[in-house]
Amino acid sequence: MDKITLEVLRSGKKRTSYELKYRKGMTVLDALVEVREKQDSSLAYRHSCRMGICGSCGMNIQGVPRLACQTQVSTLGKETVKVEPLHGMRVIRDLVVDIDPFLTMHTSVKPYLIRENPSERDNSDREYRVLSEEVGRFLQFDFCIMCGLCYSACPTIALDPDYLGPQAIAQAYRYMADPRDEGWEERVELLDRPHGVWRCHVAGSCSFVCPKDVDPAKAIQLARVEVLKKRFLRKKPRAGSPLVSLVPVVAPKQGTKAPPFDFRKGEAK
Amino acid sequence: MTKNPRFRSGLLASLVPFGFNVERWSYVLHRASGVILIGYLAAHLFETFQLSMGQGAWANTMATLHSLGPLEMVGLWIVAGSALYHGANGIRLVLNEMFGMLMGRPIMPVYPYSPTSLGRNQKLAVWATTAVVLVLWLWAGLYLLAGLGVV
Repeated sequence: MDKITLEVLRSGKKRTSYELKYRKGMTVLDALVEVREKQDSSLAYRHSCRMGICGSCGMNIQGVPRLACQTQVSTLGKETVKVEPLHGMRVIRDLVVDIDPFLTMHTSVKPYLIRENPSERDNSDREYRVLSEEVGRFLQFDFCIMCGLCYSACPTIALDPDYLGPQAIAQAYRYMADPRDEGWEERVELLDRPHGVWRCHVAGSCSFVCPKDVDPAKAIQLARVEVLKKRFLRKKPRAGSPLVSLVPVVAPKQGTKAPPFDFRKGEAK
Repeated sequence: MTKNPRFRSGLLASLVPFGFNVERWSYVLHRASGVILIGYLAAHLFETFQLSMGQGAWANTMATLHSLGPLEMVGLWIVAGSALYHGANGIRLVLNEMFGMLMGRPIMPVYPYSPTSLGRNQKLAVWATTAVVLVLWLWAGLYLLAGLGVV
């Protein structure tokens, strides 16, 4: 493969083709940058980190939502690369879409720790205890970079724009599974609505396109189980993990090990 | 602000599974089979309603249906397939949605990523469902052909 053709769906129903020389390891974002620098400076797209962390360069590549910076042209298997803006979102210009509805859904599920006593959280000189096995229950869902690929891939979003969406529900579950959080009941009520958790039909496309393996489809089903537990088993919210004294930071002397710390008791063993 | 000229909203967007996972195909088939079953239910209600209109109306309806010839059986075969797929896939979805089964537990993602919700257990369930439905659908086809006196 010496040359590739980048076919970009631009504003105003224009499908514009650009021919580029292929370089080994070239990503779709590299190709877009080259087009903008050498061929067409009017081409609009978003990008920032170029390494799959910021989540800015989400776009439809060969019909599937992907991060342009993480998609190598060689893996697509074709010399013509079709690039379109993310579906399910309003286009601002060319490949730039309006992510406001997506972010609104995200904030609506209160993606932060809720405590019955907020001052304890905001003005604390201590920290909440979390055991490593408890971290494992929510850490996967904490890796979300809010790129919007799952939102764009979800077939339910296409039918119901008021649906919370996979990203928001995954984030709600992330906090429901967090032992420090005391907003379980509040979030169950947010999810147990017509446009909430019940609109998911397990197409699994959100997990399929997720560039960080956050697996929103799994989080949604686990969140649904929590909602059912409240509805049918009358599950009560648990108390959040207690505040413990800060872990003493004492640099061990060279050649010695730091004293083991008992996280259950919140003190050195 | 420019509108996306290819903004795929509504039914069309949800029915485009190309390039996606096998569970997305399953989702589309589930929807399509559901629509066929609703259509059949409406037609069936209309058909049985003719009984209340008298013997003549009922005989006319039956005559119209039989005049379709083999198409009537093809239609019934499609309805049987839809019912089988919708039922079998529905069981898988109930396990997914009500009990969180086949989804796996939260894990620490390790590259190259492979979501457990679309992992081996889920794939096995999808393909087992498809295989069972295909076998039963084939049997239903043979049953209908026997009704026509072909086999």
